[in-house]
Amino acid sequence: MRHRTIIEPFRIKSVEPIGLSTEVERVELLKDAHYNPFLLRSKDVIIDLMTDSGTSAMSAHQWAGIMEGDEAYAGSRSWLRMENEVQDLTGMQHVLPTHQGRAAERIIYGHLGGPGKIFISNTHFDTTRANIEFSGATAIDIPIPEGQDTALQHPFKGNMDVGELDRLLKEHKGHVGAVILTVTNNSGGGQPVSMANAEGVAAICKRHGVILMLDCCRIAENSWFVKHREEGMEGLTYREIAQRMFALADGAVMSAKKDAFANIGGFLSFRNEALAEACTNLLIITEGFTTYGGLAGRDMEAIAIGLEEVFDPHYLNYRIRSTTFLGEQLHKLGVPLMLPIGGHAVYIDAKKLYPHIPPAQYPGQALVSELFRLGGIRSVEIGSVMFGTYAEDGSLKPSRMELVRLAIPRRVYTQSHIEYVAETFEGIMAEREQVKGMRIVKEPKFLRHFTAHFDTLP
Amino acid sequence: MTEQHISWAEPYKIKMVEPLFMTTREQRVKAMEEAGYNTFLLKSEEVYIDLLTDSGTSAMSDRQWAGMMLGDEAYAGSRNFYNLEAAIQKYYGYKHVIPTHQGRGAENLISRILIKPGDIVPGNMYFTTTKLHQEMAGGTFVDIIVDEAHDANSMFPFKGNVDLKKLEAVIKEHGAKKIPYVSIATTVNMAGGQPMSLANLKAVRELTAKYGIRIIHDMTRVAENAYMIKLLEEGQSERSTADIVKELCSLTDGATMSAKKDALVNIGGFLALNEWDVFEEARNQVVIFEGLHTYGGLAGRDMEAMAIGISESVDEDHIRARVGQVFYLGKKLMDAGIPMVKPIGTHGVFLDAKAFLPHVPQLAFPAQTLAAELYLDAGVRTMERGIVSAGRDKETGDHCYPDLELVRLTVPRRVYTQAHMDVIAESVERVYKRRNEIKGLRMTYEPKYLRFFQAKFEKL
Repeated sequence: MRHRTIIEPFRIKSVEPIGLSTEVERVELLKDAHYNPFLLRSKDVIIDLMTDSGTSAMSAHQWAGIMEGDEAYAGSRSWLRMENEVQDLTGMQHVLPTHQGRAAERIIYGHLGGPGKIFISNTHFDTTRANIEFSGATAIDIPIPEGQDTALQHPFKGNMDVGELDRLLKEHKGHVGAVILTVTNNSGGGQPVSMANAEGVAAICKRHGVILMLDCCRIAENSWFVKHREEGMEGLTYREIAQRMFALADGAVMSAKKDAFANIGGFLSFRNEALAEACTNLLIITEGFTTYGGLAGRDMEAIAIGLEEVFDPHYLNYRIRSTTFLGEQLHKLGVPLMLPIGGHAVYIDAKKLYPHIPPAQYPGQALVSELFRLGGIRSVEIGSVMFGTYAEDGSLKPSRMELVRLAIPRRVYTQSHIEYVAETFEGIMAEREQVKGMRIVKEPKFLRHFTAHFDTLP
Repeated sequence: MTEQHISWAEPYKIKMVEPLFMTTREQRVKAMEEAGYNTFLLKSEEVYIDLLTDSGTSAMSDRQWAGMMLGDEAYAGSRNFYNLEAAIQKYYGYKHVIPTHQGRGAENLISRILIKPGDIVPGNMYFTTTKLHQEMAGGTFVDIIVDEAHDANSMFPFKGNVDLKKLEAVIKEHGAKKIPYVSIATTVNMAGGQPMSLANLKAVRELTAKYGIRIIHDMTRVAENAYMIKLLEEGQSERSTADIVKELCSLTDGATMSAKKDALVNIGGFLALNEWDVFEEARNQVVIFEGLHTYGGLAGRDMEAMAIGISESVDEDHIRARVGQVFYLGKKLMDAGIPMVKPIGTHGVFLDAKAFLPHVPQLAFPAQTLAAELYLDAGVRTMERGIVSAGRDKETGDHCYPDLELVRLTVPRRVYTQAHMDVIAESVERVYKRRNEIKGLRMTYEPKYLRFFQAKFEKL
């Protein structure tokens, strides 16, 4: 018979206890953490949906790889294994390991960036934007207009606006550092990018002689959507779809903490030797020698194995289906969501949930606090706290959207955990009208969401 | 055990092993040619005994492996971070902690935050990555180590010491305002793993306090340094190594640590600070370069392993066996009349390639040549620390000509046995016997920066 239920294609081999807390305790914990989930202690969190980055459960096979790590400083066999795997997947010959994705970004965008340079993306993620701006360059987001409307159904909301891309490349001729296509589009709601869109972007970049970088940290999840939503792609395997997309790019940057199931690690890969060589110097100075890049040998082993495991069709089915399951539960409760549900996370539209809270009072941050207070659930704001800037008169220039992300760690939580999360939203919906906005008490210059202090408004 | 036995026997037994690769001379000749006579370019599986570095190559204890299983991989507020912070406060005494993926991550942060273009950073000898980070931030490194450090044959016990006259002269020449901090390493790697004395650090503290200058401590081998103080410095023999470690740290204002050495881990480091303002700035910047300030680019499990490793590193029996094994190898070579840096360093034996191969001129790379020969003889991998490592002068473009041409035989912690040490000593002696037949090298490929990592050579 055909089953409706998609079960996990694995069973549990090692468990980690969850610390439980009461609402009264959590009110105090929130206050102590200045209403910033990044400042909460992990032991005080019941369900941690802050990120799917580095939080995966590794497989027994990966743990065995951990035990086999070759910790030699130079020429480690774990490195050779990872290099081989990345070359095979990306089709790019030159691979530089890094301790995680943002280090890879810092190296390549530091090299291509600098004052006066422009970077264009479907949507830059927080650390990507920070690295580009830190170099003195400017980051421009050009998602398709459909990507801006959370309620609209569209199969590839992560796509880049190719008309706008062409226009920008003409306008900024000679000043473009790179075009970055992020698959899936994280800040835009974990929405996929179609092969046709990637091909269009690649063709325009080629015509203008501009480097196309693929930010591929969730490329396996993106491949699932391409296979099931894009015409002509159903006959290809997930891995073949990923390889076809890699073939369009000049280079790739990966945080292996996502689709490679690793707890730490990343890489840069290039087709062009000169570009790889230019990055090598900074790699050695700031990360580590070319055959370990600031990673333990064992972690390179785990990445190599993870990159193979992630393309298992049973796993990808389970992964996408279980994320959708949470989305469906919340949708039934009437929670305003980013639709359709993305690959790694469910995004809640806080602007619609709390229409009485203006963006300058950070409705997303208010929801993040409420989720922790009511359920001990840790989430993250992707809105004006993360991406807002100040105008010259000191007023907030808000982000396009006020989202809260419930990112699902890979292979970690069970269906009953997810049902607990949905149940918490019943409370959120019941109390939505009483929730107050927030203000920022203290913030650093870059990436303020990580360390800023907040307070509730009266 | 410490009292009754002269032997340095290991205070542990072996719980997990890793097979070694045995090669024939023919295979090694081919591998060395392919690697362009640069030991960095050899594959690990072509190496029998790997003495390239003691960094990240330690065997972890069963407790550390157990800690690995307790990794809390939460992005923010991981339990392991708080354990690490507590261990650093307890054993080193610094107030504020920022984890980094390894030592150079911490160097990057502190250099960016404290150094302004045109600043001067005095230090007890340069280290490759430390100096580069200082230069990238616009600073200039000035060597203030005692002269004995540059003389391979001097038996001075504390060759890592600062020459206080040199330091004061630098301060007087440039003014205290131009000096964001004095960079102090315990032990000094480039001098051959040589310690500094407690009395000397105290004097440096007094002098810098007088001018209001910080000391930033490169503390990667502080336990080894403290143990040498216990062995050699007057009035220190009754103290515990742990106690001396804490006093050394207390004389400084902050520290960068590559935990891949003393702290017995395969990856990890940290920046420790006593000043709140500097800490706060570092905490804001670490998220851009490394990761959020409660993981700094490390897996949770690696912070746990580091916390446990720190406590093990100052254990008296451990440190005695660690340095004892290095001395065992050093003494064997010294007894055989092999030219080397004296006294023996704490983390390795540094062969004096200039005296070993006096017929090979510096421009034929005697240390690089010797490292290649050692590999060819028995598959032992070592590292050049001479003219190749020193690189080129920024201004003239000519090579820098260091006084020392060294080959570093660094001993990983808790990895190799006495029998391995014997094989190494035999091989060095064999190469020494036929030293007159050995010819130098010619550089065929030279990268622009840190050339020692990737340069290629061929035989003359």
